[in-house]
Amino acid sequence: MSLLAEKNTPTVAVQRRGFSEFALRLRVSGVLAFLFLVGLIFSLLTPQFFTVQNATAIASNAAILSIVAAAQAIVLLTRNVDVSVGSMMGFTAYLTADYASRHPNVGAELVLLALVIGLGLGMINGLLVAYGRVSSLIATLATMSLYRGFTYMYAHGQEVTSNKLPKWMLHSVDLRVWGIPALVIVCIFVVVLVAIFLRHYPIGRRIYAVGSNPLATVFYGLRIQRVVLLAYGLSGLLCGFAGLLYAARVGTVTVILASGWEMSSLAAAVIGGVSVTGGSGTVIGAALGALVLATIDNGLVLLGIPEFWRMFIQGSSIVAAAAVDVFIGARIRKSLQGQRFGRRAA
Amino acid sequence: MKGRWAWKPSQWEMMLAILTVAAGAWSAQLSPYYLNLDQIADSTRQFIFPGLLALGLMVVVVLGEIDISLASTLAVGTVLFSKFSECHVQVWIALPIVIGICGLLGALNGLLVAGLRLPSLAVTLGTMGAYRGLAFIIGSERGYTDFDDSYLWVGSERVLGDILPISFILFAIASLAVGFVMHYTVFGRRCFAVGRNNDAAWFSGIKVRTIKIRAYTLAGALAAFAALVWVGQYGSARGDNADGAILFVVTAVVLGGVDINGGKGTVLGVVLALFLLGTIRNGMGLANIAGPIQTVVLGGLLTVGVLLPALSASTSHFLHLLLPRRSTPK
Repeated sequence: MSLLAEKNTPTVAVQRRGFSEFALRLRVSGVLAFLFLVGLIFSLLTPQFFTVQNATAIASNAAILSIVAAAQAIVLLTRNVDVSVGSMMGFTAYLTADYASRHPNVGAELVLLALVIGLGLGMINGLLVAYGRVSSLIATLATMSLYRGFTYMYAHGQEVTSNKLPKWMLHSVDLRVWGIPALVIVCIFVVVLVAIFLRHYPIGRRIYAVGSNPLATVFYGLRIQRVVLLAYGLSGLLCGFAGLLYAARVGTVTVILASGWEMSSLAAAVIGGVSVTGGSGTVIGAALGALVLATIDNGLVLLGIPEFWRMFIQGSSIVAAAAVDVFIGARIRKSLQGQRFGRRAA
Repeated sequence: MKGRWAWKPSQWEMMLAILTVAAGAWSAQLSPYYLNLDQIADSTRQFIFPGLLALGLMVVVVLGEIDISLASTLAVGTVLFSKFSECHVQVWIALPIVIGICGLLGALNGLLVAGLRLPSLAVTLGTMGAYRGLAFIIGSERGYTDFDDSYLWVGSERVLGDILPISFILFAIASLAVGFVMHYTVFGRRCFAVGRNNDAAWFSGIKVRTIKIRAYTLAGALAAFAALVWVGQYGSARGDNADGAILFVVTAVVLGGVDINGGKGTVLGVVLALFLLGTIRNGMGLANIAGPIQTVVLGGLLTVGVLLPALSASTSHFLHLLLPRRSTPK
């Protein structure tokens, strides 16, 4: 009898584990399937959609958002949220653009400047959330208005026009390597780098650990506060970089640059399968979520559907994605319980 | 009986009241036009519509949830009023219908949060976009300004010797009603219980799901009143109405001493915080301080408001470290 049970349990456990792994993969494959579906619908509705030219346009539009979505995903993984991403981008973009307009011969140190500013802003968020023990939504809601307000105060109602920016900055985003925009390559590179960092480095795993079970993480001996601070710092760093890219892309930097991106980045991350309750999801998924949003935008424009339908669809897809996420989470929990009971029976 | 109705304002509420008076004094210093009954009564209008939203949000926050879609619900309300006005429907018929629809939008939030157990931040973030889109879909991008006078009455008229705005009376009634519901009824006490400990409340037999759905519905219905006030004040309705107002609303609720994690807070605190924020805003407006700087001040206040508990905790932590004989705190 016991021999039989011993023989049986491993297969059961493997099956169960198989399901939970499958469900975890489903989060990324789900967004891929969604992307495919949306693409299929639009290609059937309009012939202009399925062209190489349009595909590159979509990819370029999604590129910067995918970095911000990755930044948002890192924070979401720790069970927090960052609604100040748009303001951080705007702040960094304006300050770096202003610096570049005053120093026409500025070189690559501009990128460093953007990264440092972004990191600083992110660290402030992190300090408030981790060490100030402020709810992340409230803290970043406050810094969202603070950073945007500081940008206004710094700008004095001015804007930095594209003829004041250094030529290399504007040209670099229009570069093409083998027909692919350099912007897309840079963004893929950054997202993959972050993904590797989160997947294979101990610090990256700690970010997941804090989000999955903060209490267990404390008992394990990790300092949660540092991890959260790091996550926010990383998020700010990426937002600073994205802000610079966006400034170079649009050319004319105004104080309202990237306002509303907190919404899109959250939408992208949630659609990409990053759980709002922390601990699960990937930055690759978030970047794919950004691609989904860009595809929907592009398709709606091609079909001539009014812009405000976008808000409706974007909002509804967040709710739908959150529902799917909770459903998957419940299934995983169930299958893990099954595993435990399986062992106990043995 | 006497004991039940006797109440003592908390330290936090006293501080808010004192700060409000101080802000008033500061405003009077800044501008000679401040100390004028007409001006002060008029300034209350600025925070009536966010105030009504804040009352609704307060109930939701006490439950430990959040609703950032309220400003979008308000926009749906204003656009609906504009449609009814276009069809020459009397406001007395339109108002219950709009309250019903906005309540339904709130109930949908509640159903998603409590019924499907989705995280409220994600849900209301989604519905914030969805309802805003819905407002545009109903009203198209064109603004509507030809409101019937009966629609403007609540938001623009005054009574009692042309001083007291009707919208203020509406706000006073609403805050008294919400205060009564939250502090003197079974429903209110259950709200606090759920916010304190969701699971314990469920185990003790409280229908957590129903209570949450009701709270969200209440918040949505109050947003309909806020929409009516908006219509009266600005005389226009468009899909982007009150876009970004949710920051002010959340600031008021948090500054009013409502714990964002739920289970703690008073309606009086929220009302006092609204008065404080309204006074500061009015004073800054009279002193000709630019809008962006006002935003910075608002954001700064919110930060300080939420940091205060942590600051006091860290000072006591520091004191504990200085006094080695006491047991080390966690």
